[in-house]
Amino acid sequence: MATTTTHDTQEHGMAAADAARASVKVWDPFVRLFHWSLVAVVATAALTGFFAGASWLQVHVWAGTAMAALVVARVVWGFTGGSYARFSAFIRGPRQVISHLRGIVDGTEGRHIGHNPLGALMIVALLATAALLALTGAVALGGMFKFGPFAFLADFASGRLARELHSLLAWGLVLLVALHVAGAVFEGWRTRDNLMRAMVTGAKQRRPGDYPAPRLAARPMLGLAVGVVFLGGGAASVSTLASRPPLGVPTAPLDAVYADECGACHTAYHPSLLPAASWRALFANLGDHFGEDATLPPETVAKLEAYVTANAAEDFDTLPANAFRRTAADAPYQITATRFWKWMHAGISDAVFKSPAVGARGNCAACHRDAATGRFDPRRIDIPQEITR
Amino acid sequence: MMHKRKLAVLAAIAALAGATAVMAGPRDDILAGYAAEAGVTAFDAAAGKALFTGTHTGGKPETPSCTTCHTGNLTGPGKTRAGKVIEPMAVSANPQRFTDPAKVEKWFGRNCRSVLGRECSAKEKGDVITWLSSL
Ligand code: HEC
Ligand code: HEC
Ligand code: HEC
Repeated sequence: MATTTTHDTQEHGMAAADAARASVKVWDPFVRLFHWSLVAVVATAALTGFFAGASWLQVHVWAGTAMAALVVARVVWGFTGGSYARFSAFIRGPRQVISHLRGIVDGTEGRHIGHNPLGALMIVALLATAALLALTGAVALGGMFKFGPFAFLADFASGRLARELHSLLAWGLVLLVALHVAGAVFEGWRTRDNLMRAMVTGAKQRRPGDYPAPRLAARPMLGLAVGVVFLGGGAASVSTLASRPPLGVPTAPLDAVYADECGACHTAYHPSLLPAASWRALFANLGDHFGEDATLPPETVAKLEAYVTANAAEDFDTLPANAFRRTAADAPYQITATRFWKWMHAGISDAVFKSPAVGARGNCAACHRDAATGRFDPRRIDIPQEITR
Repeated sequence: MMHKRKLAVLAAIAALAGATAVMAGPRDDILAGYAAEAGVTAFDAAAGKALFTGTHTGGKPETPSCTTCHTGNLTGPGKTRAGKVIEPMAVSANPQRFTDPAKVEKWFGRNCRSVLGRECSAKEKGDVITWLSSL
């Protein structure tokens, strides 16, 4: 600081003006890369989250994971980066935010070459919202779909709560992004800057009257080391946690007699797909089973009924076990008649179900490759090719 | 050299014949059982065909004929109403057919009640198996 001032005062004329107008590298390469990568992953996560179905969940999860990693990296750089990247250099208290706002209203506010106090607040809000989105997403994923780092810990109810929060936060992030863009447009107009270009090239013209930014030397090696430790440690713990057995997911293979007898006309429905009361009603009525005779010797019926009622929906915590617990009143043991099933498959046309490769709605295994396990992982949905083409 | 090869071919033929005989064994026993139950000495393949390919009204409306699921092409696969593939019924295409008495009884029981609305007689069962074995 001091040297610059003496330097400036010693020079005269054009040279002084040139020095003052010299272009400054405001946004270092990391900050720029971070910014546009975040734009890309948030856009991907938003598109797949708001508009795409369960089959895009995998992409959504990857985008969310990348977003979390970017936030961690940015926070590390917030403590190790240089003048315009360091949090302590631009995060300001409420008093300065208010005086900044007053200055804008009065027209007396100068230009902050880096983040202005209000913009800094936005950076914090964006980073915090993104971090919470990743956290609630991971809990929702673990609780509802039984994969990821929280699958061993979160039950369905907490997963669903987390998903509610996740969607509120998602709308919150949409709002923040809109405000952030509006703020940048406004600030660009107010200070006659091309802020968009600055975030690409990293450079801005220095002008007289700019608020000075503190001179802080970046410590890239330290940042890199801390970042590697945090991200590496994070990845390692996520994968160890994710490899723990998920909560309430059936692991035992289907009973062989059940698979044989109840898999003769259709895929053997996993016992966890219906509540015990439904199974009892079904077994009491095998003589008129969906318009067919499916009778079995009484001892086989007793054995199979004991098996399915001991492994029914109440005994597991998977998404289908939770969703199909609420059966239709007029079809107490028809999975495809439940509200959840209808709602989930509303987008699939009758022609697809009737096509040779599927045949019927009840042929779950035609599209759900893990149907036999009762799990119905959204990552394993695969509508047969010949139909979708 | 020639001898060895001939022997191998002969052995293979013998093994194949043996396998078919082992498969035919239980099927013949099943047929013999139905013949004794029905009090007949021979079954009528044409009657079996008529029952199997005919359209019936006594059973459940969803399944008017055996061919609803097994299709008219008995050497090819069929399909259940729930979309599951059924292996061919003709013995020539599926040598495992009618070799497990409990399975045969179970499915005649179910399918006759579904299609005809009644049990099939021993004679009818024998006729159907005889016809499906001749295809
Ligand atoms: C024609 C293919 C098809 C058939 C048959 C089918 N599903 Fe699905 N199912 C899908 C698709 C596609 C989705 C994802 C829909 C979406 O996200 O919009 C889905 C979603 C689901 C879901 C919620 C997401 C998940 O993976 O947990 C469950 C549970 C489910 N199906 C269960 C079943 C059951 C049970 C059956 C059989 C009774 C069945 N499905 C039959 C295609 C099928
Ligand atoms: C003789 C053939 C047959 C046998 C054996 C059979 N089912 Fe079924 N089942 C059907 C048919 C046909 C449907 C209706 C399928 C459809 O409409 O797509 C059905 C439907 C079902 C459904 C409802 C699926 C849906 O669409 O939501 C369940 C559950 C079910 N069966 C369970 C069983 C169990 C348990 C057994 C073993 C005791 C069994 N089935 C044995 C023919 C059979
Ligand atoms: C609703 C569908 C359906 C109809 C209609 C139907 N079947 Fe079947 N049938 C099956 C299925 C499913 C199997 C067992 C699958 C297998 O063995 O590959 C089977 C098996 C059989 C078997 C046992 C074969 C063996 O390997 O031992 C016999 C016998 C049989 N059916 C006869 C009939 C006759 C006779 C009719 C008409 C009266 C008939 N079926 C109608 C679905 C049907």
